[in-house]
Amino acid sequence: MMARLRILARLSLRNTLRQARRSALTASAMVVGLALLTMARAIGDGAHEQWISDGVRLGLGHVTMEAPGFASTGSLDDRLDSARVAAAERAVAGLRASVPVVTSAVDLTVSGLASSPGSSLPVRVEGVEPGAEAAFSKLDERRVEGRYLEPSDRLAAYVGAGLADRLGLELGSRLVLTAQGASGGVAEQLVRVRGVFRTGIPDVDDGLVQIPIATARRWLGTPGAATSVAVLLRSSQETGRALDGLRARLGTGGGADGVTVLSWRQVSPELESAVRIDDFGFYAFMVVLFAIVALAVLNAVLMSVLNRRREFGVLEALGLTRGQTGAVVFGEGVLLAGLSGVLGVALGLATTWLLWRHGLDLSALYGQGISLSGAVIDPVIVPIFRPARVVEAAGFVVVIGILASLYPTRVATRIDVAEALKFDR
Amino acid sequence: MRGSDTHVTDPTAGDRTTPGPSATAVRTEGLWKIYEQEPAPVEAVRDLSMEVRAGDFVAMAGPSGSGKTTLLNLLGGLTAPTRGRVWVAGRDLTELSGRELARLRLEHIGFVFQAYNLLPVLSAMENAEFTLLLRGLPTAERRERVRTLFREIGLDGLEDRRPGRLSGGQQQRVAVARAVVGEPALILADEPTANLDSATGDALLGVMERLNHERGVTFIFSTHDPRVMERAHRLVHLVDGRIESDVRPSGRGSTA
Ligand SMILES: Nc1ncnc2c1ncn2[C@@H]1O[C@H](COP(=O)(O)OP(=O)(O)O)[C@@H](O)[C@H]1O
Ligand SMILES: [Mg+2]
Repeated sequence: MMARLRILARLSLRNTLRQARRSALTASAMVVGLALLTMARAIGDGAHEQWISDGVRLGLGHVTMEAPGFASTGSLDDRLDSARVAAAERAVAGLRASVPVVTSAVDLTVSGLASSPGSSLPVRVEGVEPGAEAAFSKLDERRVEGRYLEPSDRLAAYVGAGLADRLGLELGSRLVLTAQGASGGVAEQLVRVRGVFRTGIPDVDDGLVQIPIATARRWLGTPGAATSVAVLLRSSQETGRALDGLRARLGTGGGADGVTVLSWRQVSPELESAVRIDDFGFYAFMVVLFAIVALAVLNAVLMSVLNRRREFGVLEALGLTRGQTGAVVFGEGVLLAGLSGVLGVALGLATTWLLWRHGLDLSALYGQGISLSGAVIDPVIVPIFRPARVVEAAGFVVVIGILASLYPTRVATRIDVAEALKFDR
Repeated sequence: MRGSDTHVTDPTAGDRTTPGPSATAVRTEGLWKIYEQEPAPVEAVRDLSMEVRAGDFVAMAGPSGSGKTTLLNLLGGLTAPTRGRVWVAGRDLTELSGRELARLRLEHIGFVFQAYNLLPVLSAMENAEFTLLLRGLPTAERRERVRTLFREIGLDGLEDRRPGRLSGGQQQRVAVARAVVGEPALILADEPTANLDSATGDALLGVMERLNHERGVTFIFSTHDPRVMERAHRLVHLVDGRIESDVRPSGRGSTA
């Protein structure tokens, strides 16, 4: 039995080598296909990670903790009181031990009006901790005038450039913010413009005002409260673990079960679907690519079977069963796919590694400000390696090799031996 | 006759029983092979019944197209008959499964084809030892058997060459070596000397005769060559798929 397997394997190997040129051609089709796939996948993963990272920075982090009703009402009534804010912050501190947390930020956000002496416009007012927020959103880096908020600020405001234009605001201008306070009455707060930012996203530039959270709390009559505690992770891949970790800590810790923990997928479904649509496009591309590769393998193995009918006839005349004859062909297909697969993944990884070292600058392609889901996207993409992706690609190759070899194998087992052995064929 | 004193028993060679004087190696009964084709079907073998005794040395002669190759293929189970039956070593080939047929061919039958049909990716040695390898014989024994045979038929030193680098005569000798090295009970050879010069043809015939004489191997071969016919113990003439004459030239290999 072993002796037979050995000689069948030897025949497969020698036949593959004998048709070196055709084997090499087929193999290179697979190698290039796989290399493209591995590379495209790494770049795609890198781009997605960037979308997510940019998206969640201006949004509510990879994971956010808020009061149960807030997601649907967005109302100040559904806020975290100081005890729950403290519990949420403790949970984040505890999480750092097991999950790579970049930073976290406590926000108190309300909808209201911003009024200058000339006019007023609807705005979103975010009460933020100046230091933490700068690290979180990087909105400070989008400053076009003045400065970002500082921890010692009290009546300072950081406003979008569009809003400043429409309200005729300049650095030092006075601005009145109006919103419904915790008590139900309308509350007003006077602030001064200290800085102006421009993100390139109309919604943000025309409608966002940031003020220190302490000022917001006093204004709205909500001491120690927050509408969200947002957590930024090193990678979106950690989201699930962070979510579980926070839920576990909040569930068992300080009795603060009035805290809902949400992932960026829930908070920004449009970001999630953008990634999903892009992924789908990728898989569609992959299917087409592999269909082509499968046809190449099928063609190569089938041609080699049809050209070698005489040999298969000989094998059967010498005492091989049809199954064993088929095994020789099948072995050739799998060998071809296997070798190509190994080479393809290696080449793909090498290319990705080069890109990873240098980054892939797509600014020429996209121009400067691409925005997605309220986020500005950095045009330099850093590919991401994920071992699972390599396994995925290698798996595809094996499947392709097997599928593409099945038909030629069948053809080989159905050869008319006497016909194949004819002298004058 | 099989010389039982010199016979080396091959434990993997299947149930080869020592044949008595009248043991039957091959038998056919009402054998037909009709190729369906346009414009009219071809009757390559027509109602052919014959019996070949074990240890016989039979030549089949006949014009081209008379059905020699088809008959040999039927006897080796490479083609299924349209009608009728074939027995080899007492077994009805038409009732064997593909697997059983393969086993019978491996252990019991050797083929020599007119077109050599060596495996191009294997060396002369590997081609010749192929069936021994399939039967699981140890390397040393395989090599020894093939070397001895190669020396005898002038293939010395060509062991490592692939068929592409051998002459037609050398390829045919490798093919004969492949068929005989396992000492099957029955060897079917289709015009084994047709593509050889007369000296080489004589040498090959000598090997076949010796195996027949010393080991009792049954040979059935087709030929056009009058000198080959002369050396046969029994001469069957085929015309249009039928036996026209079947003679046993006096004094040669009589087993009766
Ligand atoms: N596969 C086939 N299909 C159709 N006709 C065939 C086939 N093989 C052989 N024949 C025909 O059968 C007859 C006998 O052929 P063959 O056995 O090769 O004769 P020989 O070997 O005596 O020359 C010929 O007429 C040949 O054309
Ligand atoms: Mg013929």
